[in-house]
Amino acid sequence: MIKISKLCKKFEGQEVLKGLDLEINQGETLVIIGRSGCGKSVLLKHIIGILDPDSGQVYVDNQHVAALKGKDLVKLRMKFGMLFQAAALFDSLNVFENVGFALLEHTDLSREEIHQRVKQALLSVDLPDIEKKKPAELSGGMKKRVGLARAICNKPEIILYDEPTTGLDPIMADMINDLIIRLKEKLKVTSIVVTHDMVSAYKVATRIAMLYDGKIIAQGTPEEIKNTTDPFVRQFITGAAQGPITDRREQMAEDIKITGKG
Amino acid sequence: MSAYLGVLKKRLSISFEYVGGLTILLFRTIGWVFAPPHKRFQLFDQMKKNGVDSLAIVTLTAFFAGIVLALQSAYTMRQMSAEIYIASLVSLSMTRELGPVFTALVVAARVGASITAEVGTMKVTEQIDALETLATNPIKYLVVPRFLSLCIMLPLLTIIADAVGILGGYIIGVANLHISHHLYLKKTFDALVYKDVFTGLIKALAFAAVISIVACYEGMRTKGGAEGVGKATTSSVVISCILVIALDCFFTALFYFVWR
Repeated sequence: MIKISKLCKKFEGQEVLKGLDLEINQGETLVIIGRSGCGKSVLLKHIIGILDPDSGQVYVDNQHVAALKGKDLVKLRMKFGMLFQAAALFDSLNVFENVGFALLEHTDLSREEIHQRVKQALLSVDLPDIEKKKPAELSGGMKKRVGLARAICNKPEIILYDEPTTGLDPIMADMINDLIIRLKEKLKVTSIVVTHDMVSAYKVATRIAMLYDGKIIAQGTPEEIKNTTDPFVRQFITGAAQGPITDRREQMAEDIKITGKG
Repeated sequence: MSAYLGVLKKRLSISFEYVGGLTILLFRTIGWVFAPPHKRFQLFDQMKKNGVDSLAIVTLTAFFAGIVLALQSAYTMRQMSAEIYIASLVSLSMTRELGPVFTALVVAARVGASITAEVGTMKVTEQIDALETLATNPIKYLVVPRFLSLCIMLPLLTIIADAVGILGGYIIGVANLHISHHLYLKKTFDALVYKDVFTGLIKALAFAAVISIVACYEGMRTKGGAEGVGKATTSSVVISCILVIALDCFFTALFYFVWR
């Protein structure tokens, strides 16, 4: 189980997370929705320990992530798999080396065993026989699926998805959604999906949480979120140009103009 | 006045922060050098990319430097009928000064820029974050092989540059200034002592550390896409070159005053 409490993070004076509290239960698929740049990816990076919080804590299986060092941190990270927004495949390595990276670096498995695991992972994402290709030779959708294969190759307990459907055509996006559901059912993993694609959110989520202004302002099942009366959540899920989210931004811009503080 | 002081204070604080960052990265890198696993393939790959592939440009630069040095010194030496000392001048200048410095500047421009561009691109495309999520320390995986490869290859390149520079001087001395072949070689090796080559190699090792650490540091703090990678690469080359010259000044003074 993952527990996040009072998480705060600033970048160059700008507060991105402002005392965020959230719990993620084992085996569930939590989808975190929110506008671009609201801190969703920053939250994921805190969960896996790439970023250290300014204050607050993240606990994964009762371990304080920011306090872990050396082998304990390696052990924790081996529990995770992460799919990045632009896949973040290593350009200098081929698909086999990318997908099997964690196994090649951190296990004593033989090359043959790693080959089998990589093959299995690539089959799970419907990409057989591309082990020797370099990332530059792959399309956007293929890169994302290879990224997903890399995330699942070391059989993680928790998978983090950062905008898994962004930049993909609707058919490919739906294939990725199906993959997320299939992986959850097959591998029984806990999944945290960060997205602003509501079609994807409703399809894959067991629970949805909305991040706004550095905090979780609403959470519930997809049905509850669909029927919410919260005006902020409503504006986001309906994609309306007018509403409290945009009004507030305009008001802030107006305040800056008046006080002259940029 | 106070505004100027404020700007000066801010600039100083940024410079101290930068040097502090470089020092921390250097110590962390040295710490990771000894931590297993030791991936020999990555090291050899970097030695080829950073050292072997730089051989042509280093050789060419050193050869021309040797020729220019012999010709320029001939201009003055002729007036004193002391052309024979050109051999000693070229050999000493190449091994103590020009060999290490020219090689370091060429490598800073060629290899430093390439390291920063590669690591910087990895940073802006989240590949370094991906490394961390795959439980791999970016310093161990990216910085250590580049640091070690330069620390091994730059002194080797410097030895080659010294030899080729001396050859350049020899060609001018024998073919153009008509100094006898035997006399030129005798004067070259009479003037040289082990210390001359050795101090040059100590400099080369220090330059290698500076170039690799600055290049990786700039790469790892790159922000803002392609524009950021371009800026980081420029900074990396400029800062490496300035630090190479400054370190050269420091070591020359040190060897002059302390280790005569």
